Amino acid sequence: MRKKQTTYRFWNQQQKIAPYLFIAPFYLLFVIFMGYPLISSLLMSLYEMRGFQSRIFVGIGNFTDLFRDPIFWKSLRNTAYFAVGTLTLQLPIALLLAILLNSKFVKGKNFLRLAFFAPVLVAGVFVAIIFNLVYDQRAGLVNHEFVLFGKEIGWLNEEKYVMPAVILTGVWQWAGFNMIYFLAGLQGIRQELYEAAAVDGANWWQAFIHVTLPSLRPVIAFVFVVSMIGSLQLFDLPFILTNGGEPADAGSTIVMYLYKNGFQFMRLGYAATIGWVLFFIIAVISIVQLKLLGIFRDE
Amino acid sequence: MFRLPIDSESFPLGKGPMVMLILFLISTLFIFGRSEEDGENLEFWIFANTHYEEYQARVPIFEAQNPGVNVQLINFGGTMHDKLLAAMLSNFGAPDLVEVEITSIGRFLKGAIDEVGFVDLRPRLESEGWMEKLVVSRFTPWSYRGKIFGIPHDLHPVVLLYRDDLFKAAGVEMTEVETWDDFIAAGKKATRDLDGDGEVDQYAIVLDRRTESDYFSLLLQQGGGFFDEEGNVIIDSELAIETLEFFTALFNEHKIATPVYGTWHGDPSNFAAMQDGKILSILAPDWYVGILKSQVPQMSGKWKAIGMPAWHPDGRRTTTRGGTMIGMTKQCENPDRAWEVLKFTYFDRPGLVNRYETTRIIPPLKSAWDAPIFREPDVYLGGQPLGALFIELAPDLPPRYQNPYWSEGADLLNDAIFAAVTEKQTPREALTDLAEKVRALIAKDQGRWGKL
Repeated sequence: MRKKQTTYRFWNQQQKIAPYLFIAPFYLLFVIFMGYPLISSLLMSLYEMRGFQSRIFVGIGNFTDLFRDPIFWKSLRNTAYFAVGTLTLQLPIALLLAILLNSKFVKGKNFLRLAFFAPVLVAGVFVAIIFNLVYDQRAGLVNHEFVLFGKEIGWLNEEKYVMPAVILTGVWQWAGFNMIYFLAGLQGIRQELYEAAAVDGANWWQAFIHVTLPSLRPVIAFVFVVSMIGSLQLFDLPFILTNGGEPADAGSTIVMYLYKNGFQFMRLGYAATIGWVLFFIIAVISIVQLKLLGIFRDE
Repeated sequence: MFRLPIDSESFPLGKGPMVMLILFLISTLFIFGRSEEDGENLEFWIFANTHYEEYQARVPIFEAQNPGVNVQLINFGGTMHDKLLAAMLSNFGAPDLVEVEITSIGRFLKGAIDEVGFVDLRPRLESEGWMEKLVVSRFTPWSYRGKIFGIPHDLHPVVLLYRDDLFKAAGVEMTEVETWDDFIAAGKKATRDLDGDGEVDQYAIVLDRRTESDYFSLLLQQGGGFFDEEGNVIIDSELAIETLEFFTALFNEHKIATPVYGTWHGDPSNFAAMQDGKILSILAPDWYVGILKSQVPQMSGKWKAIGMPAWHPDGRRTTTRGGTMIGMTKQCENPDRAWEVLKFTYFDRPGLVNRYETTRIIPPLKSAWDAPIFREPDVYLGGQPLGALFIELAPDLPPRYQNPYWSEGADLLNDAIFAAVTEKQTPREALTDLAEKVRALIAKDQGRWGKL
């Protein structure tokens, strides 16, 4: 009788403990790899390293220094330039490609889908190396083949051309990826909506404005937010393409400046500060974007 | 017959998870069950492929001479310096020996001198008499506050590499050029619009205006620098300003220089311009000649070399650019054995001759210079013995003082040079602003934690 009671108690306890044990690995890993580094980096932003072994508490000193740092502002401007370029150039192209691939008039859809998607499979480092050759001043594809420019443009040598070159590279790499999201969204729109619009006398453009775009709103919101976050975290492409942001920091981005401070200048506190400021920028922009796109609105 | 207590049928969730568990257990045993090799193990980190290949061939000889010693070479490539920084910050995982590149060493010198993660090698160098055997000015990039944290892998003297055929076609004999004034006169003759379309088709020299590489080489040639031996910022000295004025004048006033094609001198675009005959000369350290040979072998026989033009008659005809050191970390458990490995890879004459054979890098060990290979005709330079020219110039190498703020300084110097050449600022304004920024940075740090 006693043995039976013990077994019952154990079974009862096990039932209570088991769920916690099942979710424990996630929480354990989260605390080790996310929670601790987050808190540690927040604390680090209030300190500055003094060599390898010791550090000094500087309070909000790193934050006030950052807001007075012209290279930070230049990096922020470049990052914003890329983000705007991405939203205004890359996403419309992605949507256009998706519409084309969704139409019944285009042949070889599977091949085209793969062809447009393929660039995203290439690592950013290799994309930068390839485009270094594409933008080559003398023998590069752009200057050599596009004779309309009529002269050797220093895409990566002249300040005004650096960010456009980075944006165009981003379009090549990511437009196909975003196209897939838009394509999935387009395929989810019910055909009856178009038929009803046609009955009401809507032409192609009116159907696009009043049926396609509203139906795609959740997908557009998702793609906008994800692309914006990706743009604000831009690093590897301009770092390799512009050899660390040169000339005159024309290719410097926020994350590149963070990397330089952390690893090249050994200013870990300052780098952590840049990281946290970037986090707040991303959070605010994402919330505003979602709000503007009506994602928080009750349907 | 023996049977396992569980089989794939009774295993929870079936065969798949059981196979995964077995694989997990086997790989865990493999990872953690590997015993360290018997004997003494030393780890040596490298970032350059050519160095790695050289040591791969040489280290087995050392191991054969020292039974029981295993030297593990690890080539991390470009990410090595970041890994080393992380290992030194965490005080765990650093190698016994490591090679560090000249533009990266500054960050490892931050903070109090006794917190630097490298062993001071001066006592060993002095007690064994190595200082006199090496080019002493070459220790300056690896020294700070009287301590020597690394031994130079190279000298990297710089020469002027030029297209003899194209200069001669313009009526210029480059062997007669001795000073920069001579070079400007020669350059004006050689910089030409060949087809009469109003655009220059060939420039006397290609210079990098995006980074400090060429400007700083010229400044070092004159005995200047960014920091002096005591760590003071001297980049706004009259010497530095005059050098930048000269540098910008080559582009804007004399119009004999073209900016580097692409992002640096080793860019394919730059090589293409060379092959097109658009570039007639370049300031080339020994390692760059190695790159030219491997990247544009079709230009063999077209180049010749002279010492750099001097700033005044009988002045210095060379400078230095680039470099690598080997250092011993404070985490090294057997410094004596590591020192033996270091000496074998850096001071062994046959090894250094072999290094020159494969990379064209002139070693800092003076006793190696009498090897016949350094006087052999170089086919790439039309039979000119390039090694002999480098060795002739090597004793006159200028010092290049190291400083923990070099990385920040160099980053800002790049901007200052570009601003001056593109005439957004005068050279004086650009360098004065730069010096003020770096001094403010140092003052801020010293204000926070006092003078170290």
